[in-house]
Amino acid sequence: MRWWIFIPVMALVLSLDAALMPAFAIGGHVPQLWPLLLAFVSLYASRSAAIWAAMILGFWLDAMHPALGVGIDAPRAVVVFGPHVLACAAGAWCVLETRAWLYRRNVLTVAFSTFNCALLASLAFIAIAGIRGAYADPFPLWGGGSGGAAVGSDMVDALYSAVIAILPAWGLQSTLTVWGFATAGPRFAGGNRMNRGND
Amino acid sequence: MPFVSSRRILVIALAGAALLSALPQSSQSPWSGTLAAILWAPLVPGASALAWVRDRIRAPSEPYQGLPEDLRSAREDRDQLQGELDARQLRIEELERELRDISGFRPADRAGWQPRRATVVERGGGRPAGLLGIDIGTNQGVGEGDPVVVGGKQIIGEIASGGAENRSWVIPLDDRRCGRIDAIVTPQASGKGGNAARQSMLVQLVPQGNRTLVGELESLAGVNPGDSVLLGDAGWRPAAQGMRIGVVESVGKLDANPLRGRITVRMESDPARVSRVVVKVRVTGEGQPQGQGARGAGAAK
Repeated sequence: MRWWIFIPVMALVLSLDAALMPAFAIGGHVPQLWPLLLAFVSLYASRSAAIWAAMILGFWLDAMHPALGVGIDAPRAVVVFGPHVLACAAGAWCVLETRAWLYRRNVLTVAFSTFNCALLASLAFIAIAGIRGAYADPFPLWGGGSGGAAVGSDMVDALYSAVIAILPAWGLQSTLTVWGFATAGPRFAGGNRMNRGND
Repeated sequence: MPFVSSRRILVIALAGAALLSALPQSSQSPWSGTLAAILWAPLVPGASALAWVRDRIRAPSEPYQGLPEDLRSAREDRDQLQGELDARQLRIEELERELRDISGFRPADRAGWQPRRATVVERGGGRPAGLLGIDIGTNQGVGEGDPVVVGGKQIIGEIASGGAENRSWVIPLDDRRCGRIDAIVTPQASGKGGNAARQSMLVQLVPQGNRTLVGELESLAGVNPGDSVLLGDAGWRPAAQGMRIGVVESVGKLDANPLRGRITVRMESDPARVSRVVVKVRVTGEGQPQGQGARGAGAAK
């Protein structure tokens, strides 16, 4: 995978998620594009590249979502690095495990993987936040309410993200050759593919 | 282009992430805020431009939308003055109580504040939901606990600590993590009776998210849907006192205890849909004595 393409695209996707996507909110559920990018990369990149991409993406997501701690005058916004990193790695792993039996060159497959990725990342995040809540955090990292409610809400978010992802997924699929993925690009013989596996 | 192909380094990085995830906030807070600001900095110009696009796609729900600019400005000024009047009335009631009691002396409220206009550049659509990122910070005098208002008198939240020089986080009032909020229900001035007939009622509200807060009352007598609800919480800054939270949306009985009443308050402004806010920044020098208006243990009331 070409990292000099992934990083700017990731920056664009995170900017869109932070600033533009709330415009498409329905009933408090905001679609996100980062699961699409992660699912797309995980569908085509080598395993190690996909996990690295997930970790980098998760690092930025952690930076963008501060947790609330106890402050002196007001609750304190504290950036906690780590939970999103692991959550994104879990989401990428889910797509990596399922991609073998998926027909990848299809926009609906990318949308389906987006749902899987977002859902597993959410479950992993809430599990981590639940463990942290037992000893470290005064407020759960997922916000207010119970963990079960957070899972339900994130499930709807994941579904909505997958629906919204169909159009941008088509755009990403059309740029497939640019990314230099190990398992995509023009059809080639198995021997050639093996030589490109180490990206 | 190979990135880091070693499986061992990948495992070490994952283990490092797991270790970071397990660390308490106090271990990360000295450096994580600075690192987050550095990571966010390259995205700020793009996000600001996209926020402008977002406002074109879905107009923010600001008070008096659609009115001519001068009329809107005049109404906002009126609301601001109304908010100040409400705050002063609360203060007068408090002073009257104190005069009645003459039980002790309390320094006058000399807390000064100045408005600082800010643009919402980020919304926490993910987790935790609801925090708003604004484009002013400690450089502009913004400090933790400063109230954030729209339309002159509608309070929508407060500044969380942990902001950066040019960036702050706002905790919306309807966020459950805001904790319990003391408020005052002021019945609508009805007809000729006007203010003379008004009898305010104290209530403790619990944020429920989605623009609503609920509170329990001993008696529902005198509370009707449409009544104004003002903030009157000693834990908040003096500049926040008397600011309008919203209106009583519904009144009913508690299922668990039908002798007690339950009110639902709906915020007039949706924190998730405001694009410009005003932070009431505390002016140093004229400030209140240290400790007054401070929340002892954050939101944990």
